[in-house]
Amino acid sequence: MTVVAEPSKKLVCWSCGSDNDADAQFCATCGKLQPYTPTDYFSFFGLPRRFVLDRVALEKQFYQLSRKLHPDLYVRAGAQEQQWSLEKSSVLNDAWRTLREPLARTEYLLSLLGIRLEEQSRDASDRAAASGTVKQQVVPSDLLEEVFELNMQLEEMRMAKAGGADDPELRRDLEAARENFYQQLKVSEQDLQRLWAEWDSSADNEATRQTTQEKMVDLLNRRSYIRNLLRDVEEALKS
Amino acid sequence: MAYSDKVIEHYNNPRNVGQMDKNSTAVGTGLVGAPECGDVMRLQIKVNPETRVIEDAKFKTFGCGSAIASSSLATEWVKGKTVDEALEIKNTDIVKELALPPVKIHCSVLAEDAIRAAIGDWKKKNVALGEQAAVPVAIAAN
Ligand code: FES
Ligand SMILES: [Zn+2]
Repeated sequence: MTVVAEPSKKLVCWSCGSDNDADAQFCATCGKLQPYTPTDYFSFFGLPRRFVLDRVALEKQFYQLSRKLHPDLYVRAGAQEQQWSLEKSSVLNDAWRTLREPLARTEYLLSLLGIRLEEQSRDASDRAAASGTVKQQVVPSDLLEEVFELNMQLEEMRMAKAGGADDPELRRDLEAARENFYQQLKVSEQDLQRLWAEWDSSADNEATRQTTQEKMVDLLNRRSYIRNLLRDVEEALKS
Repeated sequence: MAYSDKVIEHYNNPRNVGQMDKNSTAVGTGLVGAPECGDVMRLQIKVNPETRVIEDAKFKTFGCGSAIASSSLATEWVKGKTVDEALEIKNTDIVKELALPPVKIHCSVLAEDAIRAAIGDWKKKNVALGEQAAVPVAIAAN
């Protein structure tokens, strides 16, 4: 895979003094393990920052690296190299776990771009408190209403069950709601995929990137409500 | 996670659970949510149009114990206050009163957001009626 973006600085090998890419884990000339410098997960794998990623290629790279970085290989090396292999192995695992999961990867890349979902909501609260205005909710109010109503139904269902009765009509409503929410999740997944591709292909268009980022955040916030709700619905429908 | 006694007390014995007619002009409704956990909270106030005193408050929260306790406490606190006084309630007051741990601060923020949303809703309705038109949704200096 070719690295398209982010012009790399040079890394001078500590052992033989030859030049390497800044991302290099090993010296291209002498093969020695290079120092660990804290870096983001994309650079760790030598990948450009993209939402869409070839998982199969990533997996191959992960196994290759995890073999080559394994601390067992460095028991007879210097203390520094031992240390680097430990550090790198641990980062490798975190990076792999994060990047292989499309949603985790999305949140991660957004955070690299300075967007943190949790802080977003907190920031909106802070802004509202500071200006004495009503907080701008991070999801549209119709979704909040929907969530609230469904929670009411769930409560009814739980109460009916606790009283030994199962209201078949309520159950049907909840099953319909469940279908509906699964459908929404599916749609939002397709929307996300579209946005990923759009962002990836507009490296030279900051405005497009901004809008697609915002749309992604919006979708992720919606999804987080829906997922929580589905968990509760499943729980209530279980008998 | 261990809840403080006060949280447990409010949780087992929530004050002012319920709802009011959200179409009434005297009633302000705030519906807020925390995307982190998916919890939602509805807080309603009933305001005397002459005195601007909050005469009644109700809440309904689907969320964790801290969110329930925070909203329960919030309804207790806003009652008897004017809307402007109620806007002074800060989530940090709630955190202190309920001894909430750091991970539960967002639950108290939800309650503060809900108070402000309910008051905002009430003001909007009453501005729309041509009353108190001079007061925007802002904290009036008292
Ligand atoms: S955990 Fe979300 S409101 Fe308490
Ligand atoms: Zn070298």
